[in-house]
Amino acid sequence: MARKEVTQTTQQSDKKLRTKDLIYAGAFGAVYIVLMLIVVLGTSAIPVLYILAPFTVGVVCATVYELCVLKVHKFGAALILGVLFALVACSGNVLGMILAIACALAAEFIIMAGHYKSRKMFLLSFLAFNLNMVCPYTMLYFHRDEFMARSVSFYGQDYADQLAKYAAGGLAFIQIGLALAGAAVGVLIASGLISKHFEKAGII
Amino acid sequence: MDISLYGDDSKALVHFDPRTKLFIFLACGVTSMYTYSGLYILLFTGAVCAVLALSGKPWLALKAFFAFSVALYIKEAVDHTGSSAPAVVLIVSVLTTLILYSLPTILSIVLIVQTTRISQFLSALSAMHLPVNAVIPIAMLFRFIPTVQDEWNGIRKAMAFRGISVNFSSVLRHPWRTIEYVLVPLLFSTIGVMEELAAAALARGMDIDVKRSSYEEVRLHAADYIVMSIFAALASAIVILVSSKGAAGI
Repeated sequence: MARKEVTQTTQQSDKKLRTKDLIYAGAFGAVYIVLMLIVVLGTSAIPVLYILAPFTVGVVCATVYELCVLKVHKFGAALILGVLFALVACSGNVLGMILAIACALAAEFIIMAGHYKSRKMFLLSFLAFNLNMVCPYTMLYFHRDEFMARSVSFYGQDYADQLAKYAAGGLAFIQIGLALAGAAVGVLIASGLISKHFEKAGII
Repeated sequence: MDISLYGDDSKALVHFDPRTKLFIFLACGVTSMYTYSGLYILLFTGAVCAVLALSGKPWLALKAFFAFSVALYIKEAVDHTGSSAPAVVLIVSVLTTLILYSLPTILSIVLIVQTTRISQFLSALSAMHLPVNAVIPIAMLFRFIPTVQDEWNGIRKAMAFRGISVNFSSVLRHPWRTIEYVLVPLLFSTIGVMEELAAAALARGMDIDVKRSSYEEVRLHAADYIVMSIFAALASAIVILVSSKGAAGI
């Protein structure tokens, strides 16, 4: 009985991230990034799918994100995941990196609004988090001519022409929409998988 | 289990500091935004391969450099033949560009992951005076990438045993089911590993707030400074050249 009380008090006083939580966050970050790289590299040979990447990554990676934040249950899990993502995906693109971290912070605040209890808020926060998939493309919006010139020398004229055709107008909004749609589909999959498998196994 | 998966520097000729390897990783990130084809990126990749060879992976470095040179040669050749068969030219040039674009960064990650022990990495990061909230996740990230690969290989074998394959056609035909088949076992097994790692870390007193001492001596030696200055010079030369000449200039 005494032992039980002790564990309860330590659990309640834990508002700060402990080493265990940091380990979970870093490890889920690795899973997230490996899956993201597989999805992005696997599809980027075709110009359309390269632009669709926010959608596909959102669909696949939502479950990883949800498990991470549900397992840690404290301020910081989504933020650490976002920073790790920014380090790998936007290295060399400072603006994209800042925006990606801002997305993670927004996700963190959405979870906070649910007091780290509401399942809905946990699920909803991925919509904000997945916007970071748009950030590696920031160069495409703000320095479009430069980016196009680069893709010409990089991928050749034909690829760049195709990319330019799809990237015609309002691409940023299309990609934000895609990221949100991908996140929504991914969250549906995630909540299904979590209640079907992970909750039953007692993982979260 | 293959011990080299988790970092082994016993065969290294020169023991580079993990901070040097991180610096190379950042330099690769910056230059991959700026470089395309040509002599500079070959020089840059050659430098990464040289560091990899000195760190005890000479064959891997040689193979990577060879693959890179072949890809570069094919790309140059295809670019100069003109567009007699546009579709083939497009596919070949995109594939080779993908290799040219991602290989330096992948090599630098391999350098960090396969030639650095986790304790070295932890003590080097703490020597940079980063807060512990940043040190542990970054170290875990690099520690865990090979684990994910390892688990994934096991899962694929187990799935093949039951006659389930994951390839392009199965992704197209049953996207939802494939996601479930891949994600659920992958997450279950990685969460198991995470819990073991967390227990091991707690048992070693990672949870206390006192500054930890370490057996690992982390110091920047002359070799580290030389390699860092070479990479800084290469990266800044590439960035300056591209931004002065414009992207089409090279």
